[in-house]
Amino acid sequence: MAVATGTIASLLLCAATVILLIKGPVAGTDVGTHLRLLGIYLPGFTVTWIGSLVGAGYGMLLGMCFGSVVAIMWNFTHYLYITAMVMRASWLRLMVD
Amino acid sequence: MDRNIYLVDTQDARGETVLDENLLRAVVKVNTLLTATITGCLCGLGLFAATWLSLNRGLPDPGQYMNLLGVFMPGYEVSPTGAWFGLIWGGVIGAVAGGVLYRFYARDIRSHVERFLQLDSDGDETWNPIVSIGGNALGIALGAVVACGLILTTGWLVLRGTADESVNARLLEHFLPGYSVSLPGSLIGAVQLFILVYLSCLLWSWIYNKIVSIRHR
Repeated sequence: MAVATGTIASLLLCAATVILLIKGPVAGTDVGTHLRLLGIYLPGFTVTWIGSLVGAGYGMLLGMCFGSVVAIMWNFTHYLYITAMVMRASWLRLMVD
Repeated sequence: MDRNIYLVDTQDARGETVLDENLLRAVVKVNTLLTATITGCLCGLGLFAATWLSLNRGLPDPGQYMNLLGVFMPGYEVSPTGAWFGLIWGGVIGAVAGGVLYRFYARDIRSHVERFLQLDSDGDETWNPIVSIGGNALGIALGAVVACGLILTTGWLVLRGTADESVNARLLEHFLPGYSVSLPGSLIGAVQLFILVYLSCLLWSWIYNKIVSIRHR
């Protein structure tokens, strides 16, 4: 799940940057005025061709972290729920006996 | 050979073993609850963390953009108090979105169970340990949730009468040609967003299933 999510996040961030670069700047502004704000949180990210590669790397890293967290939480909550159900069933069986 | 499947020993009128519908419904219910819990926690804590991160980055105007979320989440702003509002709003919205997402996805769960639990050539029940993700079902579910979100948020801006001032929402035009901060524009944008999310989910599930099957070998 981490690799799949990382790949998608990487592609999306790279594509978003490339689309802005291809479309060029809107009259009176620089290209990617808002997207470049991601650079505040992702040091090195800029709306340039090299920046798109840096963004792809960050997308991969963050996507993998996000995917891992989701997978861990999914497994952990199911583990907790099933454990609770088994314990409850055992307790009820004990009470009946 | 027909793939007759069963979760427990139940039989239909023709004597064939079939899925236990009650068990299947219970599984969907549990998974919906757990998905809602997970997405609620992730969204709530994510927004909480992002707010604190913005506050502590030493920016001259930390809430310049994130404060705009207050339009959709009353009480939210980039401040210590606003972070708690963000935690609650993020949790509620994330939980609702996650629950709806899983309900949509689970419409296709029967075929997943059939793939997961199937009879071998001797007729014995065997576990197929590869749990795959249905890209089509996930794409439709996530695409529908995200597209509805775009329609609702744009509709809210239109209803408030601030559609013309929503310069930041208009930035979506860069990625969704045809989108505008209006009801017709939101519908066009929603269709495009649905397609984008659907294709992303197909790719995502393909990668996931491929890796899982390779690891299984």
